[in-house]
Amino acid sequence: MVQLQFLGRTGTVIDDLLNDFLAETAEILAEAGGAIVAWEADPADRAQLDAIFRLVHTTKGSSSFLDLPRITALSHAAEDALDQVRRGKRKANAALVTGVLAIIDRLHMLCSALGKDGFEPSGDDRDVIAALAEADSSADPGQLVAGVPLRRDDDFRGELQSWRSIRVPLPLLDSVMTGVTDIVLARNEFARMLRESGVSPAVIASFDRLSDSIAGMRQSVSQMRMQRIDKLFAPLPRIVRDLAQDMGKKIAFQTSGGEVELDREMMENIRDPLIHIVRNAIDHGIEALEDRVAAGKDITATISVSARQSGNQIEIEVRDDGRGMSPDALVAKAIASRAITAAEARALSSKDKLELVFRPGFSTAAKITEVSGRGVGMDIVKANVEKIGGVVELRNDEGRGLTILLRVPMTLTIISGLMVRAAGQYFAIPRGAVREILLENGDTVRIDRVGGGELATVRGEQYPLLRLEKVLGREASDDDDVDDRALVIVRPGQGQSYALSVAAIHDHEELVIKPAAPMIMATGLYAGTTLPDNGRPVLLLDVQGLVAVAAIDATETGRNHDQMAAAEAQANAARNAAQLLLFRDTNGRVRGVRLSVIERVEEVPASALFESAGRIQVQIGDEIFAVHTAKLPDAEGSLKLLRLFDGQSVLCYPIAEVIDIVRLPDAVQPSAAPGLIAGVVLVCGEPVELIDPFWLMAQYGALDDVSRPNQPLCRLSDDHDGWGGNFLAPILRSAGYRVVSDDDAADDAPDVLLCLTEDGASCAHVGDEIPMIRLRSAVAAAGPDDETVYRYDRQALLDALARRVGGIRT
Amino acid sequence: MMEKLYLIARIADTRVALRSRAINSVVTVGIPVEVPGAPPHVAGLFALRSRVFTLIDPHVVIGMPAVPVASGQRVIVVDVADHGYALLADAIEDVCFIEAPETRVAGKLLPGWARVADAMIEHQGASLLVVDPSHFITLPALKAA
Repeated sequence: MVQLQFLGRTGTVIDDLLNDFLAETAEILAEAGGAIVAWEADPADRAQLDAIFRLVHTTKGSSSFLDLPRITALSHAAEDALDQVRRGKRKANAALVTGVLAIIDRLHMLCSALGKDGFEPSGDDRDVIAALAEADSSADPGQLVAGVPLRRDDDFRGELQSWRSIRVPLPLLDSVMTGVTDIVLARNEFARMLRESGVSPAVIASFDRLSDSIAGMRQSVSQMRMQRIDKLFAPLPRIVRDLAQDMGKKIAFQTSGGEVELDREMMENIRDPLIHIVRNAIDHGIEALEDRVAAGKDITATISVSARQSGNQIEIEVRDDGRGMSPDALVAKAIASRAITAAEARALSSKDKLELVFRPGFSTAAKITEVSGRGVGMDIVKANVEKIGGVVELRNDEGRGLTILLRVPMTLTIISGLMVRAAGQYFAIPRGAVREILLENGDTVRIDRVGGGELATVRGEQYPLLRLEKVLGREASDDDDVDDRALVIVRPGQGQSYALSVAAIHDHEELVIKPAAPMIMATGLYAGTTLPDNGRPVLLLDVQGLVAVAAIDATETGRNHDQMAAAEAQANAARNAAQLLLFRDTNGRVRGVRLSVIERVEEVPASALFESAGRIQVQIGDEIFAVHTAKLPDAEGSLKLLRLFDGQSVLCYPIAEVIDIVRLPDAVQPSAAPGLIAGVVLVCGEPVELIDPFWLMAQYGALDDVSRPNQPLCRLSDDHDGWGGNFLAPILRSAGYRVVSDDDAADDAPDVLLCLTEDGASCAHVGDEIPMIRLRSAVAAAGPDDETVYRYDRQALLDALARRVGGIRT
Repeated sequence: MMEKLYLIARIADTRVALRSRAINSVVTVGIPVEVPGAPPHVAGLFALRSRVFTLIDPHVVIGMPAVPVASGQRVIVVDVADHGYALLADAIEDVCFIEAPETRVAGKLLPGWARVADAMIEHQGASLLVVDPSHFITLPALKAA
């Protein structure tokens, strides 16, 4: 961010102009960064392009007025390039966007230097300007598209509008706000004194007029401080784009609820936490492409940031579909860093485990990366949010994603509140969340006890009933009159409502809300504190938090179980539907394989591959697997392998890169002969060769060398010269037999005997019930009845063994 | 000079020296407003010059039972992380300069005090614990959970 240190200096008119320029440009650059990334996603969006053009044009105009040649030249170059796109002379592509972003970065740099030193540093910007021009080399300069409206008039519409607003220094705005707050507090106190002194109605009427205008004024001041949350979201697309590119991740970024308004001061306080959370999500949350494939997720990760208003609170939700957090990993990390002891760890609930991430100096990344883990941790995020009376919530779905919810008060200022009494003390409820107030024993209200819970039915509508005393853990006060008890129908958020039973309703008041101390906010019951007329502090209830603390379901929609079950079944079906992993083969072809046969994608150094026994194999960890490739890789570096698994054995298939996961099309054009390619399918109109895992596995099936208990045991008899052990045993083992010799202590009876001496008479085990094969050293058989097998006739030997034992795979 | 200025008070039945730098003021309070559901060391809320302060009972932080708050009780007002708090004090003795250096805590303290005490200091022939008021604001994490 541009540091506007220069803002504090006041002096000449030029200084003031420069201040204005810097403040405006900082805003413009932040806005432009986001707009450009959005435009890159949808180059056909003419409105977006026009907006960017106007922003750059404004910067150029003001900088030339202030004689800032470098800034003028840079913005001119960007304006030029964008104008060509607008006129259809140039195509928008990634290179152009990167070029424009580079210029914006340079402008940022110049502006911060300008803010610090008060003058534009000298330097050369030809590099970025040339890069932008080069990005154009593919364009055809002669081509003119007719009929593209130039819309010159529109270009300056934005500028004209900006003349209608003025810039006010923030400290001035803040002092107006504090002033109004004090006026409201003084009025409240004055109102109390007037009531007690019993003055004439004329004085009261005059005071009421004053009250009304104060109320109107505080409304305007609150609005002055409100800004659309868009502003907070503006820099995020750029951050996501750059980071995702750096880290080789594919991320779709969405924001919603940008129209929600938030107090400016709140915005300042959550800017850094929000950026930190988004960076964290990209760096730690989103898995590498291969891991996403292995987890059966869409290769393009989604991060969404949404804002919504709920009562007088704003909820900002950052949701990613990455790996989530592992409570056990957090605990291990905390124990390793001596933040907690193992004994303490055992006492933690799973929620407590997740909360470990808020401990100072805690970073979940195994290694500190450049992006996050620079000592600014979630503890700072939490502290910043709590400072303004907010709450940070984690919703972890391990393996499926993490949602971080920031709940902050909409404003630190004044709200209209309903004062209620419970357990002998007063509480405030934000007026905006109150839908209706009813007397509890009125005719329209029916209260039923259902299985320990209570239900209020108001004119046929049902609401879960909360008794405020019970939620707060207090007893109802003896002074309460049963006839005073009232139901407040509260609507904490969209689609939610419940009935809050209180001892009595007091009145409405304009309340100045201040955040309560963190340990009070942490109860989840309160949204802040306020000082009403009587000068005694009152707690503002958190109408949303009450729902959570009381653990009731406040959603209005009746739960239709059939529908839910159907939705779940559908989701399951979608998950189980055949999916195709698209990848680029080492020969550059795009091929696909059913995702379900892929155990995972490995990345191994090229040196892990070796040639042995005429096959290429790879060592991964302690295991060795066959690799489907004709030759060892030429290049150094690393290599990606698809790990195919048929339930018993593993085969590695080298690929260049993973492209995507798509639904397997129904129509497959099968190939003529069985082979590596089972057929061809069309994916997005492009032919994709479908790998046949059956054929592949068949090629390598015999390679499985793991000794299994159900493998037949082959005993070598009379192996006097060691030929059996040295020459024969390896072949037998690779064919799937276990081999013992006379010297081994035989634990179990052999399935077959191999007698290595030709004269059967001397074979030590004649007469046993075990089938026997005799080997001879002569090539030719002694006669037609000779059942011996020539000892170097591998195939005949294996066949003979198979016949004797049966059921051996070859 | 401010470094040498201490507030001598009796907190949770113990005489302690609080570094004056951390202290906002010493005031008397009326009956505080209770906060249902809050951690046990929160004795309530009170207002002072249009500001709401959270009253902390150091007895609970040290591990002793809570004491009732009487009207006219003296409290020590401190600011911690932009929030206003007040510590219930049994008695406020004095504000004075202590020239003696702060020394390492010698001897074994009760666990509650060991957590809040930073050092010791010699004053008028007695050893006082030097405590940081901000340590009273948070309960030991696991106990609060």
